[in-house]
Amino acid sequence: MSRIWNFIKSWTVEMGSPPLFFQWSSKALPWLAIISIIVFSIGMVWGIFYSPTDYKQGDVYRIIYIHVPSAILGQSILMFMAICGFITVVWRVKISGMLIKSAASIGASFTLIALITGSIWGKPTWGTWWVWDARLTSTLILFFIYTAIIGLHSSLDDKTKADRAISILSLVGIAIIPIIKKSVDWWYTLHQPSTFTLSSAPSMAPDMYQPLLVCVLGFYLIFAFLLTMNLRAEIVFREKNKTWVSKQYLNRQKNDK
Amino acid sequence: MKSDIYNWFFLILKRDLLIAFRRSSTYITPLIFFLIVVSFFPLALSPDQDFLRSLAPGVIWIAALLSSLLAVETIFSEDFKDGTLDEFFVTNEPSFVLVFAKVLCHWLITGLPILLASAISSIILYLPASSFLPMICSLILGTFFMSLLGAMGAALSLGRSAILSSIIVLPFSIPTLLMGTAVVSSAINNQDYSGFLLIMGAMLAIGIPGLCLLTVEAILLNYE
Repeated sequence: MSRIWNFIKSWTVEMGSPPLFFQWSSKALPWLAIISIIVFSIGMVWGIFYSPTDYKQGDVYRIIYIHVPSAILGQSILMFMAICGFITVVWRVKISGMLIKSAASIGASFTLIALITGSIWGKPTWGTWWVWDARLTSTLILFFIYTAIIGLHSSLDDKTKADRAISILSLVGIAIIPIIKKSVDWWYTLHQPSTFTLSSAPSMAPDMYQPLLVCVLGFYLIFAFLLTMNLRAEIVFREKNKTWVSKQYLNRQKNDK
Repeated sequence: MKSDIYNWFFLILKRDLLIAFRRSSTYITPLIFFLIVVSFFPLALSPDQDFLRSLAPGVIWIAALLSSLLAVETIFSEDFKDGTLDEFFVTNEPSFVLVFAKVLCHWLITGLPILLASAISSIILYLPASSFLPMICSLILGTFFMSLLGAMGAALSLGRSAILSSIIVLPFSIPTLLMGTAVVSSAINNQDYSGFLLIMGAMLAIGIPGLCLLTVEAILLNYE
């Protein structure tokens, strides 16, 4: 058992070393791009053109196919960042620190998308752009937490130090996730309770939630794609003085000629 | 071994309290700041009694959060500047205890004045007497949690601008604000508030070990 664990640990550390990661991610990136764009477009087209119209809300509800996946992503990216933060604080793995930094801006964008699409959806259905409901407010807090993390990272000059600083902050931020999850049950006002739970069947028509599931998957893949792109940019920026980076780009220049 | 840790803890606490009491501004400022913030609300909105009573929980809690963050960067910054913090960290004593003693000291010099100020504000904002005890209980739990959070923010922004720590800490303080105002407003409406108090207590119980450890980690960032 311990041998398997040691193998996994050494393998991940090896694959996560910046030069090696850069190499294998350049091969994986096109595939990831193709798959994520295909799944994303299937979900979007299915949801927007082929799912049935809601009998109460009409076609307005179709914004759910952007709103719900980005809200889910906004929360799970923070969880991802907290896991990376734990790895950074405990094992001092360099690349997990870069992962937090690369994920933070994507998470902030998805949370902002969820807030904006939510208020666009709220105007025709609830009659207002914004309600001080628990769920909305806690998503806004989530956005503030992302901005705090990004702000702290940009204010520190030593970037490895900044990585560890924001890993501490994202570990604290994870404490907010249960409050967001539970807030709907505690202060139920206007926002509907979550449709998806692991323990019971969804309360939506299957024709509507199947495309939604595809959309969620598509958003996750898009996140993975964007994260890899961000991480590669971050690696090159951090290691610009190392020989492997100059070699990589010198070779490419030769090939271009 | 056990008594060693206690000795160390009381040594730090005594030293920090002594430094704080030699400078009266450290514990007077939060009190005055709190009262100024609270008195602005009736001036800016309306001196109507019923209106102020419904506003009071939020006003008191916002004032409490802001004034507990007022002097938060001084927890570590002065010791960091003159090198005392380095000396503390090279001793063999647990740094966890050091951080906890400093947080407790900060709470004693800002949290207790805030409690006094909130007692005064509850009179000038016409809070009913029945909600006084729950307000004090929630403030004790909440301001201690704020001191912990503030210590973490101060450690993360050591040697940089003081405003940075407030920006880091304020988003994380919103659950405390929500719970604290929920306690006071349900006490005003004669509802059961014990649930919210228990959640605040739980947050504090997780926060004391968790945030102190993370604060140690954040301070160590500056020694690499």
